Amino acid sequence: MKALVLDGCREGDYLAMEAVLEMTTALAGRVDDVEVVKLRELVISACAGCFGCWTRTPGECVVQDDAATVLRSYLGSDVVAYITPVTFGGYSSLLKMMLDRCIPLLDPRFTIVGGEVHHLLRYRRYPKTIVLGTLPSPDAEAERLFASLVARNGFNFHRTFEAEVLVGVPDPPSARQCAERLLDRIGVSA
Amino acid sequence: MNALILVGSPKGRKSASWMLGSGIGEGLRDRGVTVQYGMVHHELRSGEGTGKLLDLFDSSDLVVLAFPLYVDSLPAPLTRLLELVAERKDRTAAAGNPRLGVVVQCGFPEAHQCDTAIGICRRFAGFTGMRWAGALAMGMGGSLEGDFGRLPGGGKKILDALNKTAEALARGGDIPDEAKAVFARPLMPRWLYTLTGNLGWRLKMRKNKAQSPIGYRPYGQG
Ligand SMILES: Cc1cc2nc3c(=O)[nH]c(=O)nc-3n(C[C@H](O)[C@H](O)[C@H](O)COP(=O)(O)O)c2cc1C
Repeated sequence: MKALVLDGCREGDYLAMEAVLEMTTALAGRVDDVEVVKLRELVISACAGCFGCWTRTPGECVVQDDAATVLRSYLGSDVVAYITPVTFGGYSSLLKMMLDRCIPLLDPRFTIVGGEVHHLLRYRRYPKTIVLGTLPSPDAEAERLFASLVARNGFNFHRTFEAEVLVGVPDPPSARQCAERLLDRIGVSA
Repeated sequence: MNALILVGSPKGRKSASWMLGSGIGEGLRDRGVTVQYGMVHHELRSGEGTGKLLDLFDSSDLVVLAFPLYVDSLPAPLTRLLELVAERKDRTAAAGNPRLGVVVQCGFPEAHQCDTAIGICRRFAGFTGMRWAGALAMGMGGSLEGDFGRLPGGGKKILDALNKTAEALARGGDIPDEAKAVFARPLMPRWLYTLTGNLGWRLKMRKNKAQSPIGYRPYGQG
């Protein structure tokens, strides 16, 4: 079993870096192979919104940069964990830069999911997805938005994404507990 | 009054976001407001452009974010700009009480799919001490291809809602509920939008001379 950690935090964000570390350790105890991708070290340009990945080179972005490598790794994984500081209730721009480049994974054609229009899936199999957000202090509204964003992202992939928010100062045991809880919830056992 | 319309689509002036954002911007201008536009995707490519946008942001009484829904939230460069604004506000307290309004549209038919993105903008406003002026949200953004005239009824209702929004914002008020309701109403039946949309993808593929089928899997799994 393989896991991919998408590290969407900036250097110096100790709380989110702690979350990455503890998620990686928790995964290492349950899967054979864990890959950590530090998004801040990659060259990933912003999506140009051209839909070339659907209508020019189906399934592949027309821009060649590190995003393609991440997408290959994503599809080759059984579990993907996004780690991000909760940013006004959303993802960090670093993580979002990559997520905006994930639309080649979907098929443009419309279908109905949960009573709403979404896209068809391009691939037969996608990894289970968990999202660990961090907040330096409690912020009920940001936490509510974050949970709703993660749930909505799940609909896009016709499945449930699980989320947790780690609140407070860096504290390895709490970060570890959050990570283990998320893995329990998606049924990844040692 | 100084207003800044930030266009969050990478397509700049060719985007639906521009159509809607400039609709509000021009309505504000007609009412004597000084309006500046900022193309977020383009400006954030350079330090100079980023600095320019941050300065404009700080000197505006009203900021309107006009953007497409990307993965249920804001496009990454717009998120980056908001992060930078918030970092700056951390250092220097916000002067006055600037307002934040939003006009967002998405590719799926249901306008409510934009709700989380609107919540994020609102939370940003609270975080940075801005006054929330409300949001217009529209589904079926794919039908706004560069021309209101292509919409049912010549897009009159949408243009009217944009005008009412500009009028209210210029007065110092919030985006009117009436305009929000017009935006939230589907532009056409859902089945028609998805049917024409699905056909549209095929036509674009043909125009682009795509070499692989629509459901091609370049990264394996057969
Ligand atoms: C990377 C990317 C992500 C998108 N995500 C969503 C989404 O989550 N929900 C949705 O309804 N539309 C989504 N869309 C569709 C755009 O919101 C839609 O095409 C919009 O009309 C584009 O507006 P613009 O012309 O201002 O760029 C996405 C488009 C792109 C390119």
